Amino acid sequence: MSSLTDRYLAATLRAVPQQRRAELADELRASIEDMIEDRTAGGQGRGAAEREVLTELGNPEQLAARYTDRRLQLIGPRYFLVWWRVLRTLLTFIPAIVGVVTGVVKATVGGEPGAAIGAGVASGLQTAVQIAFWVTLCFAVLERTNTSLNLPEWTVDQLPEETRERQITLVDSCASIVFLLVAVAFLPWQHFQPWLSGDGSRLPMIDPALWSFWLPALIVVLVASMGLEIAKYRAGRWTWPLVAANAVLNLAFAAPLVWLLLTDRLLNPALIERFAWLREGGAEDVAQVAVVVTAVVVVWDVIDSAVKARKAAA
Amino acid sequence: MVSDEVLRTHLQELRRGTVVVASLVALRQPDYGYALLQRLAAHGFPVDANTLYPLLRRLEEQGLLTSEWNTEESRPRKFYRTSDDGEAVLGRLLDDLTAVQMSVTQLIEGVGR
Repeated sequence: MSSLTDRYLAATLRAVPQQRRAELADELRASIEDMIEDRTAGGQGRGAAEREVLTELGNPEQLAARYTDRRLQLIGPRYFLVWWRVLRTLLTFIPAIVGVVTGVVKATVGGEPGAAIGAGVASGLQTAVQIAFWVTLCFAVLERTNTSLNLPEWTVDQLPEETRERQITLVDSCASIVFLLVAVAFLPWQHFQPWLSGDGSRLPMIDPALWSFWLPALIVVLVASMGLEIAKYRAGRWTWPLVAANAVLNLAFAAPLVWLLLTDRLLNPALIERFAWLREGGAEDVAQVAVVVTAVVVVWDVIDSAVKARKAAA
Repeated sequence: MVSDEVLRTHLQELRRGTVVVASLVALRQPDYGYALLQRLAAHGFPVDANTLYPLLRRLEEQGLLTSEWNTEESRPRKFYRTSDDGEAVLGRLLDDLTAVQMSVTQLIEGVGR
């Protein structure tokens, strides 16, 4: 059986380039023997002394890294900030674009509008993972090859003009836009996706008759809301015109919705026919809850925007 | 009172470069790894074996130390010695150490006044 020292040497040398191994092995073995001898001379047993010495020298891979000046970090301080900036920049828009394009292609060319959202989300996520992996790999290679990027030195001119903190962050805006896209996509999805697969018949949740005017109108309002999100992000904070536009768009969406709900025109009549609990008053309950929720959301959103605009103006 | 952890880090930072100076001085008289470690410790430079051994090889690669295998004793050992280049670098380092010491002294006196 090989001794602990042999095993320690083997583990250390494994991580050292071939041409330097032999000499390093001799030197390190001599050093370890010296250290053990010193301890056994002091009356310690050889086995215990060997253990103590090797423990003191520590993890062999770490020792080898010290010998060869190898970096024990994936991306060090030299590249970290550039890596982080590149990663953030790419992740803010590329996965979203790929996801939307995939979804649109799936819905139009592929002729499967029902599978569009899932396909879009999946490809967006895959793209994000791929970007993160390859960007990190590139920088890890740069770190190890010691390549200089020849980036321009930082100058005071790069300081952002804004000194106040943004009220509207990029993450918030992106999340809102994604939410709006999902809402827009939901309308055709619920129309084409078989709701009941029992007998294979397709039952949209919303009355298909509404496609003649109301549903396209709601989609227009949702798209306009996306425009508002972009305008809000560019402004960086709530302003009174933005509050007004937000209130108008909220009303433009909520008023038709509430009216359709209260006049029992939103839900598909065929769907109501299908379910006993909807027929026997369930539909009215659903409508009442939806009206209350819509009203609360709208009121809260408008008040919230006004409070933020006041804070930003202060 | 600052924590021991904070104090330890600062002392470590302060000591870091002095191991090189101490090694270059001590190796004017050739020696092998473990013996140097003990000599340094005896003179108030406690240093970990896993720091010193790689450091010696790095200094050798930089040409500040030369080495020679001694096969006369019970086991072959690699003896290091400060080279001429090493002596030149050491001169600069010692000057700088003195300069730092003087600056600190002046600063202390200046503040005291």
